[in-house]
Amino acid sequence: MEVLREKVEEEEEAEREDAAERAERARTEKMMRQVEVRKEETTLTQEMLRDLEKKLSEIRIPVSVEVPAFTKDTIDISMLPVSYKTNTSKEEQLLQLADNFSRQYSHLCPDRVPLFLHPLNECEVPKFVSTTLRPTLMPYPELYNWDSCAQFVSDFLTMVPLPDPLKPTIKREEKVLPKKYTIRPPRDLCSRFEQEQEMKRQQEIRAQEEKRLKEEEERLMEAEKANPDALHGLRVHSWVLVLSGKREVPENFFIDPFTARSYSTQDEHFLGIESLWNHKNYWINMQDCWNCCKDLIFDLGDPVRWEYMLLGTDKPELFLTEDDSGINNEDDVENLHSWVEQIEISPEAFETRCPNGKKVIQYKRAKLEKWAPYLNHNGLVSRLTTYEDLECTNILEIKEWYRNREDMLELRHINKTTALKTDYFKPGHPRALRVHSYKSMQPEMDRVIEFYETARVDGLIKREETPRTMTEYYRGRSDFLSYRHVDFGPRVKKLTLSSAESNPRPVVKITERFFRNPAKPAEEDVAERVFLVAEERIQLRYHCREDHITASKREFLRRSEVDSEGNKIIVTPDMCITFEVEPMEHTKKLLYQYETLMHLKKEEKLSRRQVWESELEVLEILKLLKEEEEVHTLTISIYDTKRNEKSKEYREAMERMMHEEHLRQVETQLDYLAPFLVQLPPGEKLTRWQAVRLKDECLSDFKQRLINKANLIQARFEKETQELQKKQQWYQENQVTLTPEDEDLYLSYCSQAMFRIRILEQRLNRHKELAPLKYLALEEKLHKDPRLGELLKMFT
Amino acid sequence: MNRLYTSLEPRVIDDGMLKLAVGEQRPQEEAGKLAKQEGILFKDVLSLQLDFRNILRIDNLWQFENLKKLQLNNNIIEKIEGLENLTHLVWLDLSFNNIETIEGLDTLVNLEDLSLFNNCISNIDSLDALIKLQVLSLGNNQIDNMMNIIYLRRFRCLRTLSLSGNPISEVEDYKMFICAYLPDLVYLDFRRIDDHTASVSLSVSQQAPRFLGKGKEVAEAKHHYSIEELKHRENLMQAQMEEEQARREELEKHKTAFVEHLNGSFLFDSMYAEDSEGNKLSSLPGVSELLEAYRDKFVIICVNIFEYGLKHQEKRKTELDTFSECVHEAIQENQEQGKRKIAKFEEKHLMSLSAIREEVEMPNIEKMILECSTDISELFDALMTLEMQLVEQLEETINMFERNIVHLVGLFIKNVQSLMAQCRDLENHHHEKLLEISISTLEKAVKGNLDKDLSEDVRALFVDKNTIVNAVGASHDIHLLKIDNREDELVTRINSWCTRLVDKIRRDEIMRNRKRVKEISLYIDHMKSELDNLEYSDILD
Repeated sequence: MEVLREKVEEEEEAEREDAAERAERARTEKMMRQVEVRKEETTLTQEMLRDLEKKLSEIRIPVSVEVPAFTKDTIDISMLPVSYKTNTSKEEQLLQLADNFSRQYSHLCPDRVPLFLHPLNECEVPKFVSTTLRPTLMPYPELYNWDSCAQFVSDFLTMVPLPDPLKPTIKREEKVLPKKYTIRPPRDLCSRFEQEQEMKRQQEIRAQEEKRLKEEEERLMEAEKANPDALHGLRVHSWVLVLSGKREVPENFFIDPFTARSYSTQDEHFLGIESLWNHKNYWINMQDCWNCCKDLIFDLGDPVRWEYMLLGTDKPELFLTEDDSGINNEDDVENLHSWVEQIEISPEAFETRCPNGKKVIQYKRAKLEKWAPYLNHNGLVSRLTTYEDLECTNILEIKEWYRNREDMLELRHINKTTALKTDYFKPGHPRALRVHSYKSMQPEMDRVIEFYETARVDGLIKREETPRTMTEYYRGRSDFLSYRHVDFGPRVKKLTLSSAESNPRPVVKITERFFRNPAKPAEEDVAERVFLVAEERIQLRYHCREDHITASKREFLRRSEVDSEGNKIIVTPDMCITFEVEPMEHTKKLLYQYETLMHLKKEEKLSRRQVWESELEVLEILKLLKEEEEVHTLTISIYDTKRNEKSKEYREAMERMMHEEHLRQVETQLDYLAPFLVQLPPGEKLTRWQAVRLKDECLSDFKQRLINKANLIQARFEKETQELQKKQQWYQENQVTLTPEDEDLYLSYCSQAMFRIRILEQRLNRHKELAPLKYLALEEKLHKDPRLGELLKMFT
Repeated sequence: MNRLYTSLEPRVIDDGMLKLAVGEQRPQEEAGKLAKQEGILFKDVLSLQLDFRNILRIDNLWQFENLKKLQLNNNIIEKIEGLENLTHLVWLDLSFNNIETIEGLDTLVNLEDLSLFNNCISNIDSLDALIKLQVLSLGNNQIDNMMNIIYLRRFRCLRTLSLSGNPISEVEDYKMFICAYLPDLVYLDFRRIDDHTASVSLSVSQQAPRFLGKGKEVAEAKHHYSIEELKHRENLMQAQMEEEQARREELEKHKTAFVEHLNGSFLFDSMYAEDSEGNKLSSLPGVSELLEAYRDKFVIICVNIFEYGLKHQEKRKTELDTFSECVHEAIQENQEQGKRKIAKFEEKHLMSLSAIREEVEMPNIEKMILECSTDISELFDALMTLEMQLVEQLEETINMFERNIVHLVGLFIKNVQSLMAQCRDLENHHHEKLLEISISTLEKAVKGNLDKDLSEDVRALFVDKNTIVNAVGASHDIHLLKIDNREDELVTRINSWCTRLVDKIRRDEIMRNRKRVKEISLYIDHMKSELDNLEYSDILD
């Protein structure tokens, strides 16, 4: 951070500024100071101690969705509330006060930077800085603590960071103490003089090389920082100061709002502080900043060190507590009212974090792009592009991070210079893929696939392919196979392309290596076997015994394997060349050799089959990867109620059902008797006579309603029919004189009318059918009604 | 009794029969031809079938060292014998014979499957050595005692058992009994023991006390108790054995430190064990107190020696461990170097060999072959140099180790001797005191004031001065002799241990060196002969 002389505006936390305001301030400062790189700083005063818990727990967040750009037109001023555009009388008074304060200050300290007291806001209205802050408590737990909160804020800001000085890595060498009986190294018979000479010579060469490298590096460095900061010590920035005391903050520290990193107040990047502000007051630093901020004392109650602007809030915070804030001084600006709207962040916006869910950070020779999860259809969440040159034109490599991919792809690394792509997968891919690096998705090209071997039955760790070879590495197999290397020959052109069947490349050589099988003696445990398919030879190399330096070998020549008749094999002693570390008797026998050969032949067939299967598997994997790349479905957690369509549907269906159920219940509770019961004197028991009357009344009333309804439908039906008839009459009379439009109109009317009539007719019929049933149902219901039931039963 | 072949003459296994059997059972087809061509050695045979041959006596099988499977079923064998050398045997079938007792199987420790079906066996025993036994077939025999089942409890791997056709299988709760007593069994009489039966038998055997009074359950309850008792006894035995083992190990540890039996009053007690005079004298007044004090002091010194010995043993052990580790590392490192050299050579050699094969020009071939042979001799030189280097280095290290270990042993001996000298001083001191008391007692005796309660033996000593002095002296001599013996034993043993150790190290090193040299020359010879063969074949071509 190259922050030079800073005017520090006092503030509780950076987060309390809203983004627009921040942009505005930055703009103002730009005009004032004409600096290119700016950082906003705010500080958390000890002032806060007064408001103890409350203030610290109040976390302010910039308005979310708006893009804090440096151009004015991105903010729609017309939508802003009145408080943004005008000043109240109180604010005017405050501004005058600030003006006065500023004038006094510039009179007293003419060589200091003018104060940052009342910048213009986005509506070009001057506002006192403290009133731009509005403590707000947000509902997100992440925003409760400074670090994640600062991270959130920094996501909204665009920053221009300066290059970090390269730090040399230090190598540390360890010396092992020699053990007691360590054998002496063999006597060195070389001439020491010669060695020394040689060493000297090499050292010289090395020194020259180093010098050259250094010069080169220096040249590069020089080129990179061509302008050695002409503005050193002149820039003004804003950042956040958090004062110790509340919420277990052990010591004062700074937060840089752009990077969300915290710095000690001793950090030498902060050259000094002009002023501080929070939402209550404004202080000017009267201490000497010759030694950066290291010697500053942040006791804001000390008027010698910190000149306050407003009298009302200048309490020495270290000793006063909350209750003091209740005491009003004569000054009516005591309670500053912020003109800023309360910040509201919707959960979506909170999750999106950056404006529009996308953020681009430009680094030296690199660019980092970030996206909110689920914003990109392929699950891309961030991309880091590194460039060769400072102008960022030649791409060196690209790293793309993905999240929530169904194929568990986590990171894709593209090296532009070698065109090598490397995909990294999390555990859970259907083919147990871990890493896949390739240049092309075509089969039989250079590629390396690594697997999660525990997820595979065959214990395959890695498969490397080149156009002519395939190498596989295994671990943890019961047959102790550790390595298989296959050399392919050029593909033989098939003359009869009968079908789309694959034409596998001919296998020339298969080399297999095995781990030591502790159950077998070393001289019977094969370490390596080579099937030279083309030459019809099999080479075996056995494991080396613990106290030996040579290993047994055996080579089978199968020149005369098949005679003219068929499968009969004639074994001759010269078919097998053997070297045994300790010659054994039984292996000399032809029978043994014959059996071994037979066994090996079977094994060879098996190995070839496995090679073929491996090739098939690669094809399948490639196919699967291609499909996945095209579909790139994202997984959605079942707890993600907003995105998970299925659960959403289910939930909605549940809600609908609940609602319907509720309606039904309401209906069943409808009391038919209520209007009739009301007519009777309340609180009296019904007599039988009353009950019968009640029932009759209720039924007749219902009957009347049914009849009315039928009549109504009938009437409408008749009306429609009449109208139609009239229209038809009219048409027949005027048919000759009608224009085509009128005719069309008439026809459409007819069809609509017919439709209505038909519907009415249907409804009438249905009503006629249902009415008696409904009537009976009501009677039944009344019979069962607990209020009437008893009496009616006696009656009947 | 198998009388199937009574019409035939009983036979003894002889060479001819074996050859015939081996020949018949050799591999088929091409491999068979090869086998016939080459002949089969008895010791290469892994499986042998000698059934339906009317064999009465097993003999001549000692050559089949590697035999894994032997079938002797359906003969008229009466006695198991002649199988002592077949230690690799896994599968032995002796079914349908006339065997009456199980015997002669004590060396067959690898046996897993034993069939004695349809014999005349009445008792299961003599199977203790067969710890790997998994399948035991004893059907159709004369076993009538249930207690035989308990004998089978010791075979932890036993999973399959057949006992049908024996008198015991007629017993009502035969199955339950076996399930209860052999809980690890999976198959009984060719049937899988279903979990239900197992659990019933188990649960019955455990919960039986609740069902007392009902016929079957009573039996089960009995099983329960007896099983519990058995288990208890077995556990006790186990614990006892473990304890014994631990004690033996402890003693072994002390012995390697050469200070066994010094961590107590053992030496002191042994001093008085053969010392009749001393024992007699101890009944004198004042002597017992003296003896007590002497004993305490003596034991303290012994314990000192003991602890010192253990400490020194630890030191020697670390010394030896460091040495072996370093030597091992050096050898490993050397081997690695050798392996690297060989690997490098082989790579090059293979290339040049194939080059030679492809070459057509005769002079070129000769040149290349020459090159190859120089390569081989270079490799030989390099490997031998490496080996000689290692030998020198190890020699030096061994010498250093020897110096150190001898020094350690010397130091130990010196210190033990000084401690022993303290023992002797104590003894001398004690002797003087005892003599004093004896003399004074003698004076009393002369005056006739001898205590009444002294025994006649003791009184007999106080006849005159000579007798008593001799007696005390004899006691003293015995004590000193004991101490000297112990000391000598310790010194001799540790010295011989030291010599043996160093000898062994040197011998091992020589053996290693010879082996390596042999290995190298073998390899080089092979390489050379390969090259020669190539030469010949080229010439022939």
